[in-house]
Amino acid sequence: MEVPLTALKRGESGIITSIRASSRWGRCWGWGFQKRLVDMGLTPGTKVTMIKSAPFNGPIEILVRGYRLVLGRGMAKRIFVEVQRCPRRSSGSP
Amino acid sequence: MPKKKLRFALAGNANVGKSVIFNQLTGLHQHIGNWPGKTVEKAEGTLHFKGYVIDIIDLPGIYSLSTFSLEELITREYIATENPDLVINVVDASVLERNLFFTLQLIELEAPLIIALNQMDMAEKKGIKIDCGKLEKILGVPVVPTVAIKGKGIYDLLNRAIEVIEKKEIKPVTIKYGEEIEKRIRQLIEALKGLQLKYPIRWVAIKLLEEDEQVEREIEKLNPKILKLAEKLARELEKIHGHPCPTVITSERYEAAGRIAREVQQILPHIKPSISERIHSLTTHRIAGYLILALVVLGIFQTIFSFGDYTSELLSDLLYGLEPLFKQILGSGFLEEIIWGGLMEGIIANVTIALPYIIPFYLILYTLEDSGYLARIAFLTDTLMHKIGLHGKAFIPIMLGYGCNVPACLGCRIMETERERFLAAFVVTLIPCAARTVVILGLVGAFLGMKWALTLYIINLAIVFLLGRLAFKILPGEPTALIMEMPDYRIPHLETIIKQTWFRLKEFLEISFPLIIVSSIIIKLVEIYGLLKPLSQALSPVTVSWLGLPEITGVTLIFGILRKELTLIMLAALLGTTNFQSVLTPLQMFVFTLVVMLYVPCIATIAACTKEFGWKKAFAITIIEISFAILVGGLANRFLATFNLLEH
Repeated sequence: MEVPLTALKRGESGIITSIRASSRWGRCWGWGFQKRLVDMGLTPGTKVTMIKSAPFNGPIEILVRGYRLVLGRGMAKRIFVEVQRCPRRSSGSP
Repeated sequence: MPKKKLRFALAGNANVGKSVIFNQLTGLHQHIGNWPGKTVEKAEGTLHFKGYVIDIIDLPGIYSLSTFSLEELITREYIATENPDLVINVVDASVLERNLFFTLQLIELEAPLIIALNQMDMAEKKGIKIDCGKLEKILGVPVVPTVAIKGKGIYDLLNRAIEVIEKKEIKPVTIKYGEEIEKRIRQLIEALKGLQLKYPIRWVAIKLLEEDEQVEREIEKLNPKILKLAEKLARELEKIHGHPCPTVITSERYEAAGRIAREVQQILPHIKPSISERIHSLTTHRIAGYLILALVVLGIFQTIFSFGDYTSELLSDLLYGLEPLFKQILGSGFLEEIIWGGLMEGIIANVTIALPYIIPFYLILYTLEDSGYLARIAFLTDTLMHKIGLHGKAFIPIMLGYGCNVPACLGCRIMETERERFLAAFVVTLIPCAARTVVILGLVGAFLGMKWALTLYIINLAIVFLLGRLAFKILPGEPTALIMEMPDYRIPHLETIIKQTWFRLKEFLEISFPLIIVSSIIIKLVEIYGLLKPLSQALSPVTVSWLGLPEITGVTLIFGILRKELTLIMLAALLGTTNFQSVLTPLQMFVFTLVVMLYVPCIATIAACTKEFGWKKAFAITIIEISFAILVGGLANRFLATFNLLEH
């Protein structure tokens, strides 16, 4: 199931499928935004784990490539992930 | 025999202990400035080692060599065109993969490289073991393990660096991408052959596929056909992978970094969370986190301002104690007026405002940054700061603006891009500092009641939000958004913090001293030549007709540029009473205070802005805020008079 990164629950992991630069922000949120995220290691196919999200719709903290990264919520919403089932339940299914 | 000169550059991610290594290497032989024409800090130092004089330059802490930020551009321009003899890549051993991603880019840029594998102790605590020999072999680059905060490995690092230079033994490997990408890189290299390039040819080819704007511009000048080819090849790669081409290349580079990291490191699963992790979850907790933040902010205020007020008063008493002596020597006359009233008053203003508040502020700011707490503050306050078009990192400078705008402006450099820095500083200059609070409470609070003083604060908050948002919309560039590494907590390195404070203080004083002294002398000269009255008269269309204030207030507003609380002190002196009720109507008091609150921050703040952003932007802030204050003051005057809310 593909969901925005912000939809992950605490401790849940997902594999990045795409980053969708929105046109709402005009040209500004295109190249630079996407480049910056992939430069920090958020490339498609990377596993990310939700650590926590700040209250009042604040930024989220994730674990990626062995380090903790904080992302503003507006940006995190544009990153889409395939949710990974918990290891116990996924043992039977593909 | 003249000593041989060498130039080393330190490069690496943020939070890897680069500045600690820089301080360990250079000691007190440092110079902090800005890159020519940029607001990015440039730290240089020198070191004598084995008969060499080595200039060391500390490049900004960055995560990549693309064109996202000024720091990244500066770094790659420096490495590619200034040709340092050696680049010391400081790598955080506890986050190897992401750090190697940067190392691979340095290798692609064909920089003469040596790796300082730093924070080995923190890696060990995390259960990470790294095989340095193996890493050295895979990359073809010398690797020296270090623990910079304990001074471990620094001597080895230098030794190895010299050895490498004398033997010219670095032969970094070439990072290979997938065959479909390599094929296209070869095609581009073929097309680029024969062109006069200032960068390595393979790097240019890769950057063209990454759609790097700066490289594209350079190649367009030389041969626009190559751009067409690059674009065609990039589209082909996009079709194969289903992602934008820059993403494809970056992914492959990360894959390579990940592969190397897995090969050289062994990770033991750790059983219980470390102390650092427990502090982390507590300080980012949805309730406890904010409580701790509130305590920390209060603590900072308490420390800075109790220390600052005490020292400020002490220094002021001490310096004013010299007044009789000066009068004795110089007699009373023109010379005394200029030297005491102009020069010394300027020096006193500088010493009593700048030093007592800036020193503790810098110490605290660098402690917060080095320990990692600053990142937690940004995490907790991001939502709030977004309301004024900024993000979490701006919280501390803006909070501290309520104490004194000067250190707050200087603190804006913790923001990442130039745009964010300027926005934050602009907002900071609108925050009523302690001196303005004196006027607000001393005039409006005392004579009109706290209700009206509070009204002023509310008006101020509304203006901060409004102007902040407006500036956010108007200023060109990428919108601000938080992308921040959450570093592990660590014990800050005291020596580095003290040195950072000292060298930045020195740099600030070099700019603020002349500015404050010159303006102080000018104002004194205006006074001596009896120009105060004509000047007040000249200002009367604004002060009297528009703002509805007595003519004499024009002078006080001019003096207020030196120190905001002077407006109140001078007002008392010129009106001949401290019972302002008898000489000013309530409406006049309110409008006067409103203008004082909003018009240019003091000369020391202008100096801080000049230092950070250059005189043009400092001048722009000054002009904008003066006009804005006059506008709002006049509107308030008319509005309050029309609705008869305050006696006039």
